[in-house]
Order: sequence, then structure tokens, then C-alpha cells
Amino acid sequence: MSGASDGAEGSAEKAAPANWILQHPTYQQMQQLQVEDSEQIYTAFLVYMDLTEVRRWKEVSCVRSPELQVVLLEAREKDGAPAHTVLPLPVHRRLSHRSVRHVLDRGLPMLLCAVASDSTLVYQRMTDGLVTPDPPVGPFEDLGRRQHRKRRQQR
Amino acid sequence: MEAPPCRQLGELQPEQERSSSAVVGLSLCDSAPLLWRIQDLKTVRSSGLVGALLGALPRTPRQNIRLGRPLLLLPEEERLLRERHSAAALPARNQDAVGTELQQRYEEEEQRSYEEQSILALEDRRSALLRAMTSSSGSECGAGSDEALQGRLLALGQNFTFPRSALAVQLSTARAGLSHCQEARAFLQADWPIREQDSPRREARYQVFRDLRGRGFFLTSAGKFGGDFLVYPGDPLRFHAHFIAVCLTLDESICMLDVLCVARLGSNVKKTVLLCSPAPDGPVHYTSLQWSGMV
Repeated sequence: MSGASDGAEGSAEKAAPANWILQHPTYQQMQQLQVEDSEQIYTAFLVYMDLTEVRRWKEVSCVRSPELQVVLLEAREKDGAPAHTVLPLPVHRRLSHRSVRHVLDRGLPMLLCAVASDSTLVYQRMTDGLVTPDPPVGPFEDLGRRQHRKRRQQR
Repeated sequence: MEAPPCRQLGELQPEQERSSSAVVGLSLCDSAPLLWRIQDLKTVRSSGLVGALLGALPRTPRQNIRLGRPLLLLPEEERLLRERHSAAALPARNQDAVGTELQQRYEEEEQRSYEEQSILALEDRRSALLRAMTSSSGSECGAGSDEALQGRLLALGQNFTFPRSALAVQLSTARAGLSHCQEARAFLQADWPIREQDSPRREARYQVFRDLRGRGFFLTSAGKFGGDFLVYPGDPLRFHAHFIAVCLTLDESICMLDVLCVARLGSNVKKTVLLCSPAPDGPVHYTSLQWSGMV
């Protein structure tokens, strides 16, 4: 992005949409975390913007994961809600179970966020242990022979 | 015929006590471990292993909902039984000899049945002819029609052949399997053929299987759901599965798209996806994947 060095206002305005990320204080904070992976930093920044501006989560901060060499985010959904660790990753990346365990070892509920090239975000909750799924919602009706009779009539 | 039901229940209990130490006989079809004997199937189910029934039922063919014997065991189930010394391979009998023996017996029985049925069919035709002649010649005088009748009956006896295509065939449904085995204990001395090479993924699958089985879950294969195992909190006949288990080693890298794919499938079918990896020092790590609810 060498357009930033231009003095003319016109070209500076046209270049603004790309540059504003580089000038954003949080982005610069992430860069200072000594994570070499610039693609992952960009991904983390997109997740940061989603959490703060779109979902309005509270106390969103970034931290470096020494084991994974990536930027993690910590945030709360509301004041007083438990803090979550968010792992932002580009969707074409590969992931190992060991890395997931490292993030879970931080002791906070974890969200994996997959970011596509068009900035689509998907959040997936990851928990240690065996979490029983929610049971199907009632009320339950015993259909009895009605269901079979219906099928026979359809034939 | 009276068969008091309470007596049958009483007979079941000592069988169940015996089942924990019973040894099942595996029939190996190439590398697939099959169980044919009813007692073996009961033993295996009572120890919490489900397997998969493969056989067509003669009375309800052309459907896949209810199947019969044999029971195919998962490689993990076979290995678990082997480690507990609860299973051994039955000696493979000479398939050719058994085949021709059975075929001969069947053909003899069929021939006997054919002869019996021919006699019965001829008698049927005779009595039908008699009925037809006597009803139609009721108004005529006796002697002439009697001779005609005898003539017709004689002709029938000489010319009648019972066509083979009209033969009624009985299918024996109570058969124990391709190689019907005796109760001799010789199979305990069988050698275990080594059929598969170990691989890290296979080893991981087995460790996860053993751990979950040890916690009391029932496991079946999860081909329909894109995972390794379906995990039930109890017998599959009584419960829906709670988990889809995906087994991997701790350091194996998986594509994020695959994670998202299997997680999405899991939430569509109301099951939690479990990432399972055995740690080198023993315990198995489980990570549950759930939909975050964040649209």
C-alpha cells in the first residue's frame, strides 16, 4: 500500500478504505504481539471488529498464544458474563487437536472462529469433555398406527 | 403345546452369568469377523458390543430395516474381544467338501419331495376328473359311462407328468450358517491370523473405542454421519445416539472446513461432535463441538 505516502488529498481519500485497518490502534496493538503470521493478525482483526461493532461484546482484548503463535481474543458477551477465548483462523488453515487443547487449557470457554476470504465468520463452540446434546423438544405424541396408515394410503 | 414362560426366563439367567466368561467363535470371511451362532450373538450383546447384522431374512427380503445373521463385528470390537480372550477363530472347514455335501443332501430331499408331490397331484387330478364325469353323466345310464370313466382315468395315469416348475419348495430358515459348527472346544487352539497393519489412526480409533466402552457407552459405526463412531448412552435399541465421535491423533492436522462440516452436520441431527484423541500417557482427550448460537 504505497499510496499512503502521497501528499495529495484526493489520492489519500481513495486509499483510506484499505489503510484504515493498518492505522487502527487495535491492529497496531496486535502487530506488537510479536506474531509473525500477518494473515492471522488480519483475521483476528476482522473477528475483533465483529465482536465489538456488530455483536457489541464487552472487554474485548487480544493476547498472544505462545504455543500456537497466533493472536487470541478474550471477550465477554455482556457485563458479568463469563469471559471467552476466541481463536480466529482463516478457513483454509489446518488445525490440530493439540492446538485446540492448548487453547482450552487457558480455562475459559472457547470459540473457534473461521474466517473466509469474503469475511464470512462462523463461530463454533469447543468444550472439554463430553457435552450431552439438548434433548428433543416435546410435547411428544404417540402416532401409533396413524403414520403407517398414511403411508399405505399414499401408495 | 404349553411352554410355561417363567421356565424360559429361569433358563435365561444362568446363561447370562455364564456369558461373561463365554468364548465366542468367529467365522472369518476373508478378513471380516462374523458371528453365526445365536448364543454368540447374545453373549456379545450382553457385553455391550453391538456389531451389525448383515443377513437377509428369508421371510422379509428386499429391505434393509430388519436383517438377520451373521453379525459383522467392527475391527475395534474384534480386537477388544481378542484382548479379553473372549473370542477365537473357528477352524475353517474345507468349504468345497461342505458345499457338495449340502448340495447332495438338498438334491436328494428335493427329489423325494418331487415324487411325493407327483403322487398327490395325480390323485388330485383323478378325483377332479371323477367329479367332473359323474356330475356331467348323472342323467346317462351306468355301464357305458363307467367304461368311459375307467378309460379316461387310465389315460390320465399314463400321460400325467408333474411339471418340475410346479414343485413346492421348502426353504429351511433355521440354519446356523455357511459352515455349521460343532460344540467341540477345538477352536480354542486356533491361531489368530494377522490381517491388518497397524496405523496411527487405527490405533487412535481403538484407544477411543476402548475408553468409551469402558465408560459404559455403546458404539456403532458412524458411516452415515461422517464420523468414526456413534456413541449411545445405552443399548441402541433404547436410545438415540448422543455423540458422533471423530478419532484423530493429537498432532494430526485437519482442515477447518472439515471441522465446520462435521460440526454443522452434528447440529442438524441433534448430536454433539466429539473430537477424540488418545494422549501418549494414557487418558483420552475429548473436545465437544457445538453450534455457538451466534448467527
